[in-house]
Amino acid sequence: MAYGLLLFVVAAGLSLAFGTAGVLNLSHGTLYAIGAYTGAELSDGTWAGLLLGLATGTAVAGTAGILLAVLTTPLVRRGHLAQALLTFGLALIGGNLLIEYFGSDAIPVRIPEALDQSVTLLGHRYPAYRLGFIVMALLLAAFGTWVLTRTRAGAAVRAAADDSQMLATTGRSPGAVHTGVLAAAGALAGAAGVLGAPIIGPGPDTGDTVLMLSLVVVVLGGLRSLWATLFAAIAVGEVQSLGVSLAADWAPYLLFAAMALVLTIRAHRSAVPAAAGHDADAASATDPVARLLRRLGPAREPRADSAQRQQTPKRAESSGQPDPATGSRRTAQVAGLRSKSLPRPVRQVAPGLVLLVALIPLPVLLSPYALSLVGYALALGLLAVSVTVLTGYAGLPTLGQAAPFAVGAYTTALLAGAGWTVGPVQVLASATAAALFALVTAPAVIRARGTTVLMITLAIGELTVVAAGELKSVTGGTEGLIDFPPTQALWGGEPLIDESPAYNYSLVVAACAIALTLFFLRSPAGKLLIGTREAEARMRASGHPVARYLLLAYIGAGALAGIGGSMLTTVQAYISPADVGFEIAAFALLAAVIGGTHSVLGAMFGAGLIVFIRDWLSASWPGHGPFLLGVLFVVTVYLLPRGLAGLRPPIQNRWFRALRGTA
Amino acid sequence: MLELTGLSAGYGGGTVLHELDLTVPTGTVHAVVGHNGAGKTTLVHAVAGLLRPSGGSVRVNGRDVSGRAAHQVARAGIGLVPQGRRVFASLTVGEHLRLSYRPPRPDKGDGGRAARRERIWTPDKVLELLPRLGERRGHRGTDLSGGEQQMLALARALLGSPRVLLLDEPTEGLAPVVVRQIRELIATLALEGISVLLVSPSPTLAVQCADTVTVLTSGRVTERLDGGPLRADPGALHAALELAPTTAAADRPLGSATNTAPVRAGSGSSEESQRA
Repeated sequence: MAYGLLLFVVAAGLSLAFGTAGVLNLSHGTLYAIGAYTGAELSDGTWAGLLLGLATGTAVAGTAGILLAVLTTPLVRRGHLAQALLTFGLALIGGNLLIEYFGSDAIPVRIPEALDQSVTLLGHRYPAYRLGFIVMALLLAAFGTWVLTRTRAGAAVRAAADDSQMLATTGRSPGAVHTGVLAAAGALAGAAGVLGAPIIGPGPDTGDTVLMLSLVVVVLGGLRSLWATLFAAIAVGEVQSLGVSLAADWAPYLLFAAMALVLTIRAHRSAVPAAAGHDADAASATDPVARLLRRLGPAREPRADSAQRQQTPKRAESSGQPDPATGSRRTAQVAGLRSKSLPRPVRQVAPGLVLLVALIPLPVLLSPYALSLVGYALALGLLAVSVTVLTGYAGLPTLGQAAPFAVGAYTTALLAGAGWTVGPVQVLASATAAALFALVTAPAVIRARGTTVLMITLAIGELTVVAAGELKSVTGGTEGLIDFPPTQALWGGEPLIDESPAYNYSLVVAACAIALTLFFLRSPAGKLLIGTREAEARMRASGHPVARYLLLAYIGAGALAGIGGSMLTTVQAYISPADVGFEIAAFALLAAVIGGTHSVLGAMFGAGLIVFIRDWLSASWPGHGPFLLGVLFVVTVYLLPRGLAGLRPPIQNRWFRALRGTA
Repeated sequence: MLELTGLSAGYGGGTVLHELDLTVPTGTVHAVVGHNGAGKTTLVHAVAGLLRPSGGSVRVNGRDVSGRAAHQVARAGIGLVPQGRRVFASLTVGEHLRLSYRPPRPDKGDGGRAARRERIWTPDKVLELLPRLGERRGHRGTDLSGGEQQMLALARALLGSPRVLLLDEPTEGLAPVVVRQIRELIATLALEGISVLLVSPSPTLAVQCADTVTVLTSGRVTERLDGGPLRADPGALHAALELAPTTAAADRPLGSATNTAPVRAGSGSSEESQRA
């Protein structure tokens, strides 16, 4: 019970920050950890120590919340993804600093003696501290609800969530509300940290554990009311503590399964993606759709001529241009533009070829260790590309692509263990297995939109990792799989034991996979995905089976991630749950964002950069890998709003400028 | 009293509103009419601080508020009733009223403090004007009908006791009965000493309640008409509007700018590609 209520206090802050300030705060667990460490440092077993700890921890975490508000203010218009990346980066930095300062051992916490005993209540004995905590948490829930629903400040907070511009026109500063909410959320986390330190003690994993659990609570409870959050928190707490005592290994599995279930049911109930937000709709207005339809016109012709002819007048009506002459003239123009930009395919392929040419001679230039890192980066790159396909093209931001990645990796390892060591067989089998996995999980994912997707995919990823750790007979548990025969590049080929041939093999596989991906994304299929992302309702209304497109994209991305997983196994000759965990998923998402979310090659570069920083640069500054990565996250969010793709000479813009010149 | 001098504004790189001059004396109604895309809403947003003007100044009773954030502009005495109402979905009518009520700080050296006090809009006074809202106190903003939402949006703006009220298409999508009610309300508000800037594509509403009518074409003032003569013969305004070309039309009247009309970046590319 106390465990659940502790989760409630933390999750309430998370839900407040997300629901009203719109910040998906992945550093919330770190704020808790700050509170917990402060409490552990200052509480010396006296009441004064506890109170001092409470005051200091709350103040410090509240200040951190204000800092967070300052940092996220410039990102308000950039959506949840940028904020999630920023806060994840901050969490990495903060976690690293905390470990550096307090050491990597869990710190024992001393509480006042009066509370350090048991109380008999209704024939049972309870620890007094936990009882006290329960009372405090309930008071907090009541107080929080009162503030939100009964006071002007609470009304302002809710109004800011509805329409912050209109709140400003009533003379209240939305910025002040934003800051206030994040400060309050931080203070809540800090207070929970100080008081909860005896329950979830301060240690290196505290931040992550607390964040994961409170994310689950927020997802289960929804953002509607604090009481729903309270019930969800208690449920999660009970599952955790009962689960641990009944079936220790399966407790986390139960939790994430419940979360996936709830999300799936909820997504199905509201088939219309209300969460996608009308702001985005309003921003994209009608123009991109009209432009898109125009471009799609020729592409759709060969498919169903008669159906198209029937649709044409309808489309003309809806776009408000009944003049057939304009239409045909426009088509002619489009055709003209096409012929004018004939060298465009060449220009598009060029960067990929340059990259490929640059990668080929690496075995001669680099040390075996560096080479294996590049091979690893290629595998992670494929994962990042699959994230790009989903996030950038299909509009489904995902934190769960590590799951099909894992399926592919384990498939290859198991196949090799069973004697199937031929490369293409392994790759195809891994891709198929991952695609099947995607097919099975798709119903949970493709109905949802926006941040809900992040959370559902997070649950899927976590479930997969947990399953990989639990199914010891198949996956070797947390130890992982090792000692399977190495892959052969082709039938009857030499086993790829050395780094150099293994690298060449993975380069070929990656090049093929990426060529295939690019082919699909640049075909009309890719355009249909973009249309779905930009204006789903319009795509539906013009007769496109949107759900089927998304399903195919999800399965395709799954297969791609599976191929990446297969490469990972080949390159590392080892696979364990740590290789496919949440961190990897977050890195893949970051790589996709560094790449600009629309750029396949950018995602590869992003993956390379991440591996370079994590494994290469951090070798020269040991113990600071997470710190450097955190800095990379933060820098990316601020300096590269459109990723690396924003840096290269914009082909699109040149195209448009040429157009304007002729106008 | 609202004074706009040389006000320019736009989105991205493009300019929508070109050096607009406009004055709304205290207690009068000034209507701005124009076709879609003429820059009416851009004008309202630039005045309200929701869009940062790229040039020129906005003055309320002599005080320059241009370039300030929206909440500062609101505190300086500009109230906004936005296009599409935009009432808060999760707040009840009562909460709207409580949240929006903001008695103005008394100006120092303001001799007529007693007179000012009478112009403070309290929730009671607003409910007296808009009794329908009183019956709907417990309903959420989005549960109201279109007309009631419009009243709520008006109440929200009034509770800040504004000296200038911006009305962006206040009769959009409303039944004739409600339109008449709103017209009467506008007249009442002007009598209460508020300067009203009314923006509407409908010349009828402008003719019925405005003291001055400005015709906006492609972000520029193309005509300025007096309300009195218009009420007797609205033909002049209709003529002005019918002559006024939309941004996309190629045939421009003599005397208007000869270079291509600057349009929004988003729609620009598609339109220009058509022309090409």
